[in-house]
Order: sequence, then structure tokens, then C-alpha cells
Amino acid sequence: MKESNRGHLLPIYVLADESASMYEHIDDLNDGLRSLHQALLGEPMAAAKVRFSVLGFSDDVIERLHQVDLRGANEFPRLHTRGSTSYAAAFDDLTDRIPVDVKDLKSQGYQVHRPAVFFLSDGAPNGGENWQETLRRLTDRTVTPAAPNIIACGIGDADAETINKVATRPEFGFVADKGVDVGAAIAKFCAALTKSVIASGRSLDSSNPHLQVDKPEGFTVAIDVI
Amino acid sequence: MAPLFDRHRGEKQHEPARHVPPPPGPPPMPPPPVPPPAAPHDLPDRTAGNAPWTWGPDVAGHGPGPAPLRHPGRVPYPPDTTADQWGPVVVDRAVEAFDPVPPTGMSYRPDTICDGWSTAALDVRLASVRGYEHRHDGIQREDDAAMAWDQGTGTVVFAVADGVSEAHQPHIGSQLACRSAVDEMLSQVRNKGGFVADWHKLLSTVHWQLREQARRLLRLQEEAGVQETAELLGTTLVAGTATPTEHGVKVSVIWVGDSGVWQLRHDRIHALGGGKTTGPDGLLSSAVDPLPLVPAGVRPLSFVLEPGTVLLIGTDGFGDPLGDGEGAVGHLFRSELRFPVSPLRFAHLLDFSRETFGDDRTLIALWPRETSPGAPR
Repeated sequence: MKESNRGHLLPIYVLADESASMYEHIDDLNDGLRSLHQALLGEPMAAAKVRFSVLGFSDDVIERLHQVDLRGANEFPRLHTRGSTSYAAAFDDLTDRIPVDVKDLKSQGYQVHRPAVFFLSDGAPNGGENWQETLRRLTDRTVTPAAPNIIACGIGDADAETINKVATRPEFGFVADKGVDVGAAIAKFCAALTKSVIASGRSLDSSNPHLQVDKPEGFTVAIDVI
Repeated sequence: MAPLFDRHRGEKQHEPARHVPPPPGPPPMPPPPVPPPAAPHDLPDRTAGNAPWTWGPDVAGHGPGPAPLRHPGRVPYPPDTTADQWGPVVVDRAVEAFDPVPPTGMSYRPDTICDGWSTAALDVRLASVRGYEHRHDGIQREDDAAMAWDQGTGTVVFAVADGVSEAHQPHIGSQLACRSAVDEMLSQVRNKGGFVADWHKLLSTVHWQLREQARRLLRLQEEAGVQETAELLGTTLVAGTATPTEHGVKVSVIWVGDSGVWQLRHDRIHALGGGKTTGPDGLLSSAVDPLPLVPAGVRPLSFVLEPGTVLLIGTDGFGDPLGDGEGAVGHLFRSELRFPVSPLRFAHLLDFSRETFGDDRTLIALWPRETSPGAPR
């Protein structure tokens, strides 16, 4: 039997900076993602509507988790620091990955909402890369019909203008306030991510399904910093 | 105290009370044997056990049963051998089990309503059930439905509505839309020999009823604006009539928003109008322009309801899981609604449990009769 609608799903990607500069904070990020997993286990109806991927990027992208129903995940994989900060590699990967993932979910009979990417970086992208062009291909809906909404969060040395460019809407770009402890900022990012995942999952049954994004505590909307 | 959630997966922890297999299904089962007379029991204790009113699979009749209460002198009831038939009908994988939270709100609004009756030309059933998400979150049912009958012409009028979740009082909007639509249709039917002649007037009546109610709720001196009415009482609506004629039952129906109309015919469910659509990007789009906004140029869909077919009118809580009608949910309703079922069974079916589908559901079904009421089918 070919199902035309086994359910509504929201694919969510965490695209996390694994570059060497994250060394001191990667454990905070891993702890935060574990907390997210635990929180979603307590919200099984919202979690049922989300397929969760975790991608670590530096010189390239390593898939840590792929389209997982978190209710059935026993262990959350750990991110590891390595290499440089290639935004181009990160966006290239998503440009290839998202259409395949959406097609895969649809072939299973699911109806799919526009994917959401939560991007976290602590520094500037590698110089000499035309990451803006790869980002344009990823987010241009005429090129990538399933182009995601990107929520970009900058911590540490991340530049507000860059973060604002990565976010697909001005209100989706956030930078941690100056002087805020990076580890604490990562925890706040994960808390906001958790809240967003649960609220967005719940909204899929409403008459107006939407991606709910709240500003992480201790962050400022990037465009306000520029 | 019963846990709010069973965090384990239903299929591992529970034996689903009722399960719909995907087609091709097993051969029809013979009727269950009549249970032998049992020794009388005392009243079962509804407060004992883990979660006797839990929504989700395995609600009753599985696992340890409640301890019987002893009340000397009280006339005992026979054992409830049908208890396990009232768990949710599970399709594929059930919604996680939980205890429903009472709805907040100023006035009483039941979790489930159902109704049903027959005229000389039609069997009619109606049900509206609170969605699993709303039960979980303590939100009242935002869907509603209404139906009535004009004795003079035999015309049945019906309406279903889905209050927009983002509105502040969506349940009032959907209820008012259904009641005012049914009243206006009845009025026109009685004056026009069984038909609604002015559908624009119908929508206009609902529009103004919503705005007037918004004015009252907002305590405005002047009429409420369209936008503020939408933000307070926004709702979808499907409204229609079914009129017996010498050529059969003539149906006319209109819709505003993503509630829909379907026909069960030749073991297939055909979408006739409304519902959600997938965008050209292949992703789900669900933008709704609800009442009080009235789209320009609304014209009714009119057709004769052939014998052996069933007309279904429902909100997206039914339409979304139904999809194109070829999946497991479609199979459930194709097989169960070939003939009229009791109103309670109708509501029970509509309350099926399938994960990720937690919206309120409302459905009206009309079966054209080939014989007079009470005659064997």
C-alpha cells in the first residue's frame, strides 16, 4: 500500500562548527545536545513530528546523526573538534543533502515541511572561499525547492554581519552578547533550540504550522549589532 | 499517581486495543463467540489501576485490571466484556499514551460530540472530537459541526468548521459559523422549496455574525473590523444541503478554508473540494484564508449523490491523515463507512490514533437511502 500521508514531518538540522577554535567548548555543545534529547523524550508527540540530523563542519562535513526519530535514539553522538571553518563545505553539503532527505521522507509516505537548519559557529569563515555563492544556491528556492530556513547563531569571535548573512531572515540571526561566557552561550543556544523544536513540532497540527524561533537568552539579533 | 506520559513506544509496551491492518487485509473474522454467563461482579473501581482513562493504546482490558470495590447490598453490574473495544482504533503507530488534560476556558465544551439520525432519504452521522494535541495541552476542541432537517422538503443542512488555532477564541468562531450557517440554510430551504438560492447571502450572514460576536466580546461601540474578527474568531467552514428529488439526493456545498468534502464511491474516496495542497516545491503548504474573510466568486459544488455512495464533510484533522484516501486511514473509513454505523461508533472511528496526527477532527457523513427508514438494508 502506497501511503500518501503517513504524517507531517519537520526535518531539522543542527549544523555545528567543529573547527579547532571550538576545542574548549565542544563539551558544552555536546552536553546541550544531550539535554535536548532528554527534553524531547518528555515531549513524544512533538518529537514524533521531527527528524533530527546533526552535522559537524570544519574542513568538510561529518554526519553525526541522520534523520533520526529522537524517541528511538539511545545515544546522542558527540561532536569533535578538528580543522578549519569552511562555511562553503557546510552549505554545499546541505545543498546536496536536503533534497535527498526530503525525497526519502516523501517516498516513505510523509508530507514534509520546509526544513530548518540551526547553524552555530564561533568564528569567521575561511578566507578565499566563495561561501556566499554556495549559500545562495542552498537558499534560492528556484535552485533548491526544499531550501531550508536557516537560524544562525554566532558565539565567541563570530561576526554579526556574517551571521546575519547566513540567516534566511533578519530575525533568525543571533550573536552572543559581548562578554558572555561562551560555554553559557552554547547552553542558552541549546535551550532555545530545544524550545524551538518542541514548539515547531507542536505547531504542525495547527492551522498555521510554523517554525518557531526564540532569541536565545544572552544573544542579540545580529542585525541589531551590525 | 498515573504518569502523564508513557515514554515507551506503544508497540513494545502495549497490545493495541484495536488495530487497522493495511490492505490487503486478512480475511473477515468470524463474529466473536458469545461469552458465557459470568458471575456477577461489583462495580469496577475507576480510580484503581494505572490509567483507566488514558488516551492511547491499551486503555482497557489489557494488563492488570482494576481491583473490584465491594459494596455490600448494592445491585451488581455484569462484567463489562466490551471494555477493550473502546480503546482508540490504532492506525499504524499510535500516539503516545497520556492522560488528557481538562480544557481551560470560561464555558463547558465537551471533548467529543456525536449525533445521528435518519430521514426518508438519508442516514446522517456527525462527530467532532478534540485532538490528541489539545487533550495533551489542555486546550478545548476548536472544531465544530451542526446539522438540521427541514421536515417539509426532507432537506438536510449541514456545516463543519475549524477554528483557526492562532485566533484567540477559535471555538466560538467555529461554533457560531456552524450554527449561523445552518440557521440561514434552513431559512432559505424553507422559503425556496428545499434549496439554498443565495450562497453569497449565507456567507455574508456568517461573516456578519462573526463580526457582531467579535464586537460583543471586544466590547466595542462600533462594529468590529474584519482583521480583528479574524484574529479573535477566525474559522474555516464547509456548508451544504442535501435535498431529496425525483432524480436522487441533490447535494450543494461550499467551503472556505482548508476543510473539505469527499465522496466514498466504488471503494475509493474522491476529494471533491477544499483540503490542503502540496506546493510546487513538493512541501506542504497550509495557508488558510478563514472567515470572516469571504473569497470572491464562491460558487457551490452541486451534484446528485448516487445510491451506494457516501458524502463526507470534514475538517483538516480528518482530511490530512486521509490524504488521497489510499492509505491506512482511507482503508479504515472505506471499510467501516460503507454502511451507516452507530453515532457512537462513528465518533470512535474518527478518534483513531495515529502518531503525528493530533489535530481536532470533525466529520459528517451522509448515506443516501434506497429504502424507507427502518427497512432492512
